[in-house]
Amino acid sequence: MPDNDDRPDVGQLWRSWLTDTERQWNAFFNDVMGTDSFGRFLGGYMDIYSTFQRLVAQNMERSLSTLNVPSRSDVLELSERLSSLEERLSSIESSINTLAEAVGHPSRPAAVTQLRPRRTRQPRSQPAGAK
Amino acid sequence: MATVRIPETPPLTEIFQAEVVKRNLDRVRRGMDVIFDRDPPVVGATAKDVVYSKGTLRLYRYRPVTDEVYRIPVVLVMSLISKPYILDLSPGQSLVEYLLREGFDVFMVDWGVPRPEDSRLTLEYYVLESLPRNVEEVQKVTGEQEVSLLGYCMGGLMALMYSGIFHDAPVANLVCAATPVDFEGMGMFRRWSDRRWFDVDRLVDTLGNVPPDLIFRSFEMLRPAERWAAYARLFDNLWNDLWVKNYRLFNRWVYDQIPFPGEAYRQLMKELMWENKLMKGQLALGGRRVDLAAITCPVLNIMAQHDHIAPFAATQPLTSLLGSEDTEDVILKGGHVSLIAGRNAWFRLWPQLSQWLSVRSV
Repeated sequence: MPDNDDRPDVGQLWRSWLTDTERQWNAFFNDVMGTDSFGRFLGGYMDIYSTFQRLVAQNMERSLSTLNVPSRSDVLELSERLSSLEERLSSIESSINTLAEAVGHPSRPAAVTQLRPRRTRQPRSQPAGAK
Repeated sequence: MATVRIPETPPLTEIFQAEVVKRNLDRVRRGMDVIFDRDPPVVGATAKDVVYSKGTLRLYRYRPVTDEVYRIPVVLVMSLISKPYILDLSPGQSLVEYLLREGFDVFMVDWGVPRPEDSRLTLEYYVLESLPRNVEEVQKVTGEQEVSLLGYCMGGLMALMYSGIFHDAPVANLVCAATPVDFEGMGMFRRWSDRRWFDVDRLVDTLGNVPPDLIFRSFEMLRPAERWAAYARLFDNLWNDLWVKNYRLFNRWVYDQIPFPGEAYRQLMKELMWENKLMKGQLALGGRRVDLAAITCPVLNIMAQHDHIAPFAATQPLTSLLGSEDTEDVILKGGHVSLIAGRNAWFRLWPQLSQWLSVRSV
């Protein structure tokens, strides 16, 4: 907390030092990471990362299949089928809503349909403050 | 005769004063709260209803808090890179809440967290199918034909693509915040993803969606010293409740990354980062050209001077590409996040945004 007497504010000096140091280190790293050689290094790293991921996935798939245990791709397949079911349900629900609205019985959640504020607001000369 | 001033309280005894002891105990308590993530601050708390959903997508309508709203609803289009609660951070610090209080009818397109099978979703899906469907739903719920689109970061890019493809789209006003259009200005990102060494095909073919950790690390590498400096500042400000609360709010959002849909990422890299096609007017989705010059509605381009994610050089040319006669550039100090959700935003941007939208929403 700031003091009110005449003692030098060590905290303030430290804060300025921190800001300057942060700026200097960021500038230094940006200089290093902005070079072609770093880009090439990063590209190489990404290639190794992708290859490693692929090998791990392949081996895991093979091992789980040997053990007769569902693998990630099996779970993903199941998830895709569930998603497609969800979408079908949602489209059926949407059709029912449209039909219900057409015959005068809207079936949307009341909270959404009942929100019918008057859309007649006019701009003020000055907007309110944020706080 | 000179008088010698003797301090009433010797400095060493200050640390034993009850107030100082209490303050230091508070520091420890708040430090523990941060370390163990105790009582995490509430985010995205503004009351809302789901109007439409498909897969991970949710279209929300925030409950109006005024009896009378502006005629044209505001639709917030979020980015694919991050979670949408940055615009509804915390009660009292939420753009959504502010717009509601100002009398807008607010909707939000939240793309959700992509599932592994969503790696096949392309920009065509988002721009040609999903966004138009969301706009239709807003039209149905409000009974209004026109909408104002407000896109943040990549959300702004998608809103631009949508408006540039569907020339008869019911977009009354377009607000783009921290939206890059000239990818030659993307600085380090452009260098790191140079086609000479970055094999985007291998990455997407292997991983499907781009993992959140990879995206987070690439953001962090833009300012490597920031995290450690932030820890030091946190230690310095542990006495300050509000400071710690804000630190935790922003920190939560920053670390709460989501995967990026693989195919959309591949397109983003090839079409925009490598070829810069949007800027050159050559970008096409599903065979339809994105013609920014055909956008004639009022456009507000909000930019941050020190944005390290969507640098000023990448966001600044936007209005010069449009066919609209009613355009305005707002340039604020600060970075990518503080632009839309920080102190600068609360006191400067939000009132300016509300003023700009309100006169064009009747």
